[in-house]
Amino acid sequence: MLEVSTPVKWLLRLLAVGYVFFLVAWPVTTIVRTAFADGVGSMLEVFTDPATVHALSLTLQIAIQAVVINLVFGVTISLLLVRYEFPGKRVLSALIDLPMAVSPVVVGLALLLVYKPNGGWFGETLAENGIQIIFSGTGMIMATCFVALPLIVREVVPVLHEIGDDQEQAARSLGANFRQTFWRITLPSIKWAVVYGVVLSLARSLGEFGAVKVVSGNVINQTQTATLLVESKYESFDQPGAYSVAFVLAFLSVICIVVVSLLRPKEIHK
Amino acid sequence: MSIEVSNLTKKYGDFYALDDVNVSLPTGQLTALLGPSGGGKSTLLRIIAGLDTADHGNVSIEGVDATKLPPQKRNVGFVFQHYAVFKHMTVAKNVAFGLEIRKTPKAEVKRRVGELLELVHLSQFADRMPSQLSGGQRQRMALARALAVEPTVLLLDEPFGALDAKVRKELRDWLRRLHDEVHVTTVFVTHDQEEAMEVADEIVVINQGRVEQVGSPDQLYDEPANDFVMGFLGEVTRLGPVRLRPHDVEVAVTPGHAGAFPGTVTRALRVGFEVRLQVELDPEFGSSDPVSVVLSRSHARSLDIELGSKVWLTAAIGAVTVPAMVAV
Repeated sequence: MLEVSTPVKWLLRLLAVGYVFFLVAWPVTTIVRTAFADGVGSMLEVFTDPATVHALSLTLQIAIQAVVINLVFGVTISLLLVRYEFPGKRVLSALIDLPMAVSPVVVGLALLLVYKPNGGWFGETLAENGIQIIFSGTGMIMATCFVALPLIVREVVPVLHEIGDDQEQAARSLGANFRQTFWRITLPSIKWAVVYGVVLSLARSLGEFGAVKVVSGNVINQTQTATLLVESKYESFDQPGAYSVAFVLAFLSVICIVVVSLLRPKEIHK
Repeated sequence: MSIEVSNLTKKYGDFYALDDVNVSLPTGQLTALLGPSGGGKSTLLRIIAGLDTADHGNVSIEGVDATKLPPQKRNVGFVFQHYAVFKHMTVAKNVAFGLEIRKTPKAEVKRRVGELLELVHLSQFADRMPSQLSGGQRQRMALARALAVEPTVLLLDEPFGALDAKVRKELRDWLRRLHDEVHVTTVFVTHDQEEAMEVADEIVVINQGRVEQVGSPDQLYDEPANDFVMGFLGEVTRLGPVRLRPHDVEVAVTPGHAGAFPGTVTRALRVGFEVRLQVELDPEFGSSDPVSVVLSRSHARSLDIELGSKVWLTAAIGAVTVPAMVAV
């Protein structure tokens, strides 16, 4: 390792800690302080409001469904990218990263263009058959899936590369078919990458705002998610309410990250 | 014949990994596929196992055409150079894998796994994870795992290639003894001619995607079909118009032998019990490279050879020789 003198070492540490503190830690703790500013009672009072409860449960439902869909497709796409050669593989790989680069608002607008019932490229046909995607749960799940798509793939792909296909070939030669090989050999080997990807996607999905805002229509008690609720409360000068809901969202995300960091080191030391 | 390979061709782009290979591997024997790296021997083994597919040609195992069968239907055991252990399973679970896939009853699985671990001397490690085993132990476990499904043929791809020299030698002897016990048709790939000569009943020499020669170790050593086989199976040197083994060069310190090549010792190196000489032939005998000669230490001492000695070289009576290729 590179040797650095002691003062420089401390300076670097100070810089790193200071950076994270002012950028992340301080603002997040402010949310906690503001949420509990008037005591726990007033903070909990927010959750007696049916619109808030609905928004939070809608957020959870959408996030969980989006994560399940991304889990299935994410693992399949990862296997496809690592284990098979096919034309257009590089294009697919680049497309997977697109949601990282594109602003979620743009994603929302794009979905709107394709699926809106009046004038959408595909939406009109669907609307004629009684299927509504925009301003409904389906559209919101699609938007959430889109923005969280790369998270599982980018966790699983490097692990699949690292373990190689020796174990899978050994399983095949011992008589296992594709399904048995996947469940008994591949999945246990990539288990922790999948868990990590799922938790990251869950955290990301819970917090999704831009894309969902465009496609949901933000109808209270129907398509208003927690993040949309925070915004509307904040804009209607209900700051304690906004901070309380914001706290719940931040809390859920922190739980996700804590769960992962508790799971991970155990696996490494094993 | 247990494995019948006919007209097998495999190309990677313009490169022929296998070029119209025909070979029959006998039942119950231990056969080595020997050749330099990149010569196609691993490709051949993987095609036999169904892990790779050939562009043309057929593979049949015990009379059944296996060309189109997926690996899990061929009933072959495969052992990989880097063990390919199932890292998340215990040693016993690894060995049991093939049996559990075949829905063998639990009690039967337990009994078989016990037997196999006994066979590979890993009984006391049954409940360990593979990461707690040494390389040699992992490879023995991989072998037990492959044998568990009672394969028609056992295929080993450079099985000892990743092990250090001492363990490699031990495992080599052990594989030979194991084969004498279980008698399953076994094919292993190696680039180490000593390994092939020591262990195998029969050797198939493969180079540049083609079979150069098939035969017993003695046949290959004594009657090499061509220059390549001769060169690959041991050291070769050139004496006048022929190529031969350095230990088949007779050294005399006096002239008078018919057709002897006079020269001068330019290097003498003692390695253990043998002495290796480099002899520069006198200019009128042309050849530019010095001749390598190997003598036993006592023989060298009795001839009183040292650096700068004048010597006369002849090919020993009965020496294996092949005509030297025309120097370019």
